[in-house]
Amino acid sequence: MLQATEAVLMEEGLSPLLEIPVADPLEQLVRRVQGGETEAFEGLMLQTEKRVLSVAWRILGDRHLAEDAAQETYLRVFRSLPGFRLGEPFEPWLVRIAVNVCYDLGRKRGPRAVPIEFLELPGEAASSAEESFLLQQRRTLVRQGLAGLPPGERAALVLRDLEGFSTEEVARMLGIRPVTVRSQVASARAKIQAFCARLMAAPQGGRP
Amino acid sequence: MMTPHVLDQLPLWIEGDLAAPETAALEAHLSQCPECRRAAERLRDSQAWLREALEPPFEAPDRQRLRARVMEQICTGATAKPGPRMPLRRSLLLASAATLLLASLIWNLERARPSRPVHPGLPAPLSSAMPPSRPEPTPQVSRPRPAARPSRARSPESPPLAEPARIEFQTSDPAVRIIWLAQAKPPSEPIQTPLEAP
Repeated sequence: MLQATEAVLMEEGLSPLLEIPVADPLEQLVRRVQGGETEAFEGLMLQTEKRVLSVAWRILGDRHLAEDAAQETYLRVFRSLPGFRLGEPFEPWLVRIAVNVCYDLGRKRGPRAVPIEFLELPGEAASSAEESFLLQQRRTLVRQGLAGLPPGERAALVLRDLEGFSTEEVARMLGIRPVTVRSQVASARAKIQAFCARLMAAPQGGRP
Repeated sequence: MMTPHVLDQLPLWIEGDLAAPETAALEAHLSQCPECRRAAERLRDSQAWLREALEPPFEAPDRQRLRARVMEQICTGATAKPGPRMPLRRSLLLASAATLLLASLIWNLERARPSRPVHPGLPAPLSSAMPPSRPEPTPQVSRPRPAARPSRARSPESPPLAEPARIEFQTSDPAVRIIWLAQAKPPSEPIQTPLEAP
């Protein structure tokens, strides 16, 4: 999978991952693991596990599957670390592996059955308990909207809007052109908005 | 005069993905167009809802558990035979072996079924257009077919070590039996596949 992604990058004239001249704070740990210090891998995990779990959960939408994906990601990273080129930033490389693992697990799981309900937004006189319940419902609906996106758009949206990577970084991680990332995230944003507008019916002409 | 609506550009503008001149033009339009302004507002809301709903649920104990599981697998050397790939390969291998075994069993069964012993009291063939023309096995035959069950005596000219494979098929018509003699032959000789009546 990684080799295929690199091939795409080469085809598109993009260098494999970033050439940022800034020193990677994780490089020391990577160097130690490559030198045979297995314990240093725990340090790498400490620095990056939040990101990996977050990416996996946002792409897969399932807590247990995301934990499995994170575990598999780190095992793959450990196996591939001897081939990692020092000087490249580690985190984008790690996230790229995490996204590939999520794709693999997502394919194995197959499409999820998404129950769709209409949601009435609370009016002016709604109680706090009612508002809390409706907030939960709204979260569920937005997650369903994200889960309904094609995998490419979902990954691009998660990495660009939720994880905060730049368009160019996302392009390198996903092995696609920046213009494709822009098009995918724009499409995904519009679909999420349309999904929310369709399912969140505001009472008495309120804002959807 | 108002510029055309910018609804299709709003999803890019909302997260700052437009170039500076496009952004300036779009914002100039928004200042004049209530419809596009409302659409931009809805998009801003849905982006905020997205961020709020996709806040990861993991806490420190979850991360600690993950770390412990990974380090345990790494330290016990389990990564040498990683999780999902090896079972897949193993299962593919097993499935291939099972398929081959099944195929060979079916093939053997299919071969064995028609060559069951033929009863001696079968009627004579209905047509006389097919005279018995059993070929004489040539002495060059050196590798008889293992599945062949010779049910008839060989011709006296047959050498003892060059026995041809003989397969008999009893068709649904009791009067018709197909006998196939298979043997290695010199390149000049034609293949002989005679039909023989009982």
